[in-house]
Amino acid sequence: MAVNYSAKEEADGHPSGGVGLSGGGAAGGGGGAVKTRKPDNTAFKQQRLPAWQPILTAGTVLPAFFIIGLIFIPIGIGIFVTSNNIREYEIDYTGTEPSSPCNKCLNVSWDSTPPCTCTIDFTLEHSFESNVFMYYGLSNFYQNHRRYVKSRDDSQLNGDNSSLLNPSKECEPYRTNEDKPIAPCGAIANSMFNDTLELYRLDNDTRIPIPLIKKGIAWWTDKNVKFRNPSGDTNNLTALFQGTTKPVNWPKPVYMLDSEPDNNGFINEDFIVWMRTAALPTFRKLYRLIERKNNFQPTLQAGKYSLDITYNYPVHSFDGRKRMILSTISWMGGKNPFLGIAYITVGSICFFLGVVLLIIHHKYGNRNTSADIPN
Amino acid sequence: MSGATSSADLDEAPARTIYVNQPQQSKFRDNQVSTAKYSVVTFLPRFLYEQIRKAANAFFLFVALLQQIPDVSPTGRYTTLVPLLFILTIAGIKEIIEDYKRHKADSAVNKKKTVGKTKQLEIGDIVKVTNGQHLPADMIIVSSSEPQAMCYIETANLDGETNLKIRQGLSQTASLQSREELMKVSGRIECEGPNRHLYDFVGTLRLDGQSPVSVGPDQILLRGAQLRNTQWVLGIVVYTGHDTKLMQNSTKAPLKRSNVEKVTNMQILVLFCILLVMALVSSVGALLWNRTHGEVVWYLEMLSVNFGYNLLTFIILYNNLIPISLLVTLEVVKFTQALFINWDIDMYYPETDTPAMARTSNLNEELGQVKYLFSDKTGTLTCNIMTFKKCSIAGVTYGQLPPSTSESCEFDDPRLLQNIENDHPTAVHIQEFLTLLAVCHTVVPERQGNKIIYQASSPDEGALVKGAKRLGYVFTARTPHSVIIDAVSTGWMWRLNIISVCVFILQATRAALTQHCNNLGDSLGKENDIALIIDGHTLKYALSFEVRQSFLHLALSCKAVICCRVSPLQKSEIVDMVKKHVNAITLAIGDGANDVGMIQTAHVGVGISGNEGMQATNCSDYAIAQFSYLEKLLLVHGAWSYNRVTKCILYCFYKNVVLYIIELWFAFVNGFSGQILFERWCIGLYNVIFTALPPFTLGIFERSCTQDSMLRFPQLYKITQNADGFNTRVFWGHCINALIHSIILFWFPLKVLEHDAVFTNGQGIDYLFVGNIVYTYVVVTVCLKAGLETTAWTRFSHLAVWGSMLLWLVFFGVYSAIWSVFPIAPDMLGQAGMVLRCGYFWFGLFLVPTACLVKDVAWRAAKHVYHKTLLEEVQELETKTRALGKAMLRDSNGKSVNERDHLLKRLGRKTPPSLFRAHSVQQSVSHGYAFSQEEHGVVSQSEVVRSYDTTKRRAEVQ
Repeated sequence: MAVNYSAKEEADGHPSGGVGLSGGGAAGGGGGAVKTRKPDNTAFKQQRLPAWQPILTAGTVLPAFFIIGLIFIPIGIGIFVTSNNIREYEIDYTGTEPSSPCNKCLNVSWDSTPPCTCTIDFTLEHSFESNVFMYYGLSNFYQNHRRYVKSRDDSQLNGDNSSLLNPSKECEPYRTNEDKPIAPCGAIANSMFNDTLELYRLDNDTRIPIPLIKKGIAWWTDKNVKFRNPSGDTNNLTALFQGTTKPVNWPKPVYMLDSEPDNNGFINEDFIVWMRTAALPTFRKLYRLIERKNNFQPTLQAGKYSLDITYNYPVHSFDGRKRMILSTISWMGGKNPFLGIAYITVGSICFFLGVVLLIIHHKYGNRNTSADIPN
Repeated sequence: MSGATSSADLDEAPARTIYVNQPQQSKFRDNQVSTAKYSVVTFLPRFLYEQIRKAANAFFLFVALLQQIPDVSPTGRYTTLVPLLFILTIAGIKEIIEDYKRHKADSAVNKKKTVGKTKQLEIGDIVKVTNGQHLPADMIIVSSSEPQAMCYIETANLDGETNLKIRQGLSQTASLQSREELMKVSGRIECEGPNRHLYDFVGTLRLDGQSPVSVGPDQILLRGAQLRNTQWVLGIVVYTGHDTKLMQNSTKAPLKRSNVEKVTNMQILVLFCILLVMALVSSVGALLWNRTHGEVVWYLEMLSVNFGYNLLTFIILYNNLIPISLLVTLEVVKFTQALFINWDIDMYYPETDTPAMARTSNLNEELGQVKYLFSDKTGTLTCNIMTFKKCSIAGVTYGQLPPSTSESCEFDDPRLLQNIENDHPTAVHIQEFLTLLAVCHTVVPERQGNKIIYQASSPDEGALVKGAKRLGYVFTARTPHSVIIDAVSTGWMWRLNIISVCVFILQATRAALTQHCNNLGDSLGKENDIALIIDGHTLKYALSFEVRQSFLHLALSCKAVICCRVSPLQKSEIVDMVKKHVNAITLAIGDGANDVGMIQTAHVGVGISGNEGMQATNCSDYAIAQFSYLEKLLLVHGAWSYNRVTKCILYCFYKNVVLYIIELWFAFVNGFSGQILFERWCIGLYNVIFTALPPFTLGIFERSCTQDSMLRFPQLYKITQNADGFNTRVFWGHCINALIHSIILFWFPLKVLEHDAVFTNGQGIDYLFVGNIVYTYVVVTVCLKAGLETTAWTRFSHLAVWGSMLLWLVFFGVYSAIWSVFPIAPDMLGQAGMVLRCGYFWFGLFLVPTACLVKDVAWRAAKHVYHKTLLEEVQELETKTRALGKAMLRDSNGKSVNERDHLLKRLGRKTPPSLFRAHSVQQSVSHGYAFSQEEHGVVSQSEVVRSYDTTKRRAEVQ
């Protein structure tokens, strides 16, 4: 572009070249008929496109601030109240305190036999009226670590037979064991949560087991699209997983996770839930559903309960915690006071800023209208 | 330029021998000319080389290579390579468009006809060129239609001088005029090899049977020059194509970089350092985390925890902090701005059919920052149109006085002729004066029917002769020894013998603005409301090392500095001095070859494309047809471009910092492992798709206020001139603002989703779910921020702001379902459905962007009230005017009209006369005097005068 000499200029005696599309093919022989190079008088080319020009002054912004404040604060209060109405009960069963019934299990390892069990009794002060969701929670567990997150083979989990026997390199060092491919491979699968939680209602010293539903805890797309068992001539999972070995930490292979065929193998929902890696080192995952039986009784009435734990999962080594959470759900999900508080705060700030701007507007607004454009 | 030219002047080309009317013994370059940058074959390697030389592109290439190392990249292998290729493709398309135009122009030149097609010309050919044609190659004159093989050429294309130059063939060949005679000639020419010296030529003509004669620069006609006042000329081609002196002189102009570009490069460097610091901090964090957790996290088998590898990982993770798309965005934006300059109808000059032309798009924003303007006086201000207007004879001044605003500036003072008729005491002097005007010159009159056309070698000579003609002293014919004038008023016709030729040395009268030297001492070191006038001779001393600084101080303190009779070198020296010692942007404007130096030296060079030659235009960055167009070029295009470019740059930095700093926040909760919060392609496509449009609309369609306001309030130019919109403070302000936004955008959603149970069916979420929500909020916030920065919402702004959000949503939807069809992004499967189903997402969608932007809006509004800037005041005025205009349409309420008038008057009154205002320019035009004369010409003036006899018919060629 920075060339001194433009051939076109020599050709038709007009400066051209450089940047631009104008001029078109006007490069005829010298002295030939040259069409006019007058630019088009269009709004676009003359930069006169109609435009909306809002000006942010205190006057125009003030109403918006007050309106935002007036809308946000009630919304925040609504969300906050909704969240507070959600019943939630949480038990930490890690057993670090010597008094805890699970203290004896604190130092379990993966292969302890028989498994360590413990029971924790607790009391619900208020009844849980609607459906109850049972979660397990882990703390200080870095499911979001890069080496952890990538250590999986989605192709294998989707039932791809070649990946089943030859898992992705991303799974290393949980790819093969004793020269056999691991199914499911990778660190995520290897560290699957395997405590068993059972809930009983204590009614005059009788333990009434509470039915826990284990299906419907995973995303529909995961259960039906993303996770699939390997396919073959047979429906026998044992045969389909022939040639693979279980993950190192698992007590049993993947095709023995559950007795029901539509919840076994890769499509076991506990497994699927575990495979969705959490964003924070403290997280909870859905474990079981407790459905409301009838309209006359609350799902969990107030009273004494007991939680039976088969304690398999070691967290003590990395200062982790394990929790069991019972929660009801509102129209917008689980309990979380933050959103409501945030709405109230932002709303209040808007309102406050509105007031400040109003003061500024009254104090200085008139002064400036009489000011002249300075030289 | 192709490399051949630059290498040609490094080593002196060997001398050549040219055979006349015989086949050549050595091979010479053909007459084809190419100014194009690429050919089909060289395009790819050359283009890639040019691109990779840019530091930013090299960096991204480096990152793309790093990603190929297994197990290092947190974002896969191709997430940098693909956007980089995309960006290079766009840059490539732009280059192709530009080069295609050059190719087209080249082929137009090469096909131009003189005798045959220009490109078919070969060394040794004898060519006939007729009047008005451009010479197709460098050649030696054989003969011409004029006496003694003389011919006139205009070399404006070469050196910018419009006065005609005389070239003369050798007397040995002057008689060779017919085809037969020419066919008979044989011999050879020995001459030096091609070089770039326009005024040098050494050669020998050896015609068979005659003694050798030396050929000098007087016998040479150069390609690009135009034959004038000569029916035809015959010449032997000696240099063709790229060997011609014209092409040898077309060197690369110095690559100018705008101030904004330099600052931006600096900022990119700073960001790069920040990136390194972030990567280092994260790597140290990883080291510490591994030390405390590495042994105990049994679920994570630590492979190689190498500090160096971690550092690379984090460099890849944070690499997008440097906006990958910034350079290409800016290129496209500036290209479009340059088009707007070309398209501006207000800068189109219908007389010569010349639109304004941006020859480079690099410096658009520099036009908005000009502090010192250097203008060539004579040609630029007078447009080189000379008219006889005033004279003073025997102490009596004739001619109209300044306040004339009439279009015709011709001399029309009836007193002069009345004085002759009434036998005024000075009548004799007047008659003598007019006679001298009509006689003493080298003008050649040509009769065309009843009209006489004066062929003058300089416009002032012509002006004087025409002036005399108007007053009744008509110069009608010229013979070698006499001139004939027809004195209409007296009824006589004189034939005057030429005894000797002396040309007027005309002194221009000037207003005495100079302050004398005894006052000059007082003037040092304070503001002076005076103009400083210095001539070239004095300037030589003023620019000497010892007093240079004092001179500069004095010059800067004055309102204006006029340097007269300065050489081209001095012109550029002055510009260079101001450029080096004052930290300000300089602009030089001129129209002649003598301005080339300063045009190339100044930050921005503007050429006047019009009557004078092309040299200034060809070296300039911007070419306009009239000096007065400079006003719009600076006040509107310059200020707008600056505003747009800086907004675009700041916004690009802002949006990148917002998104990619989030990765740093996320590193704090994932054990500094380098895990990304978003899906890898979402990161890669952020700059090239989802937030690509807003920078373009900001850079192309943004306008702080209307063109009319920009012109009416030239004070607005100060905003851009002082770089108020783009400096280190503003840059860091934007970065810190982006930092705050990124904190809000990351921690709000994280806290909202902390409890994992966010659906009515109790199901849980994963990290990518959080990531997608954060990403959506980022896109929305960043687009709204672009809207906040936009002061004029055109339909394109709406498209960019709302379209980008929509684009992301559509992409999100498609991308979340694509895995079942196409094996890409398994982790995204089902995300969109779940995100859109989440109530928290929708509540957050209103909360988080509001929380981010409420501060910005409040800050802006408070500042607007507390300290209203000039710009805001003008904007308000515009809005009011528009509203009032509408109100007036509804009902012509007298009060509102008065109010508006009052408002406009009040603001208008405050407008000081600007240096650039069109009317003031025109006024100065009416006072301009300029004279030029070719001195030391090839043929002495007396020879020229004596060689013409316009009473005879010219010789015609057979």
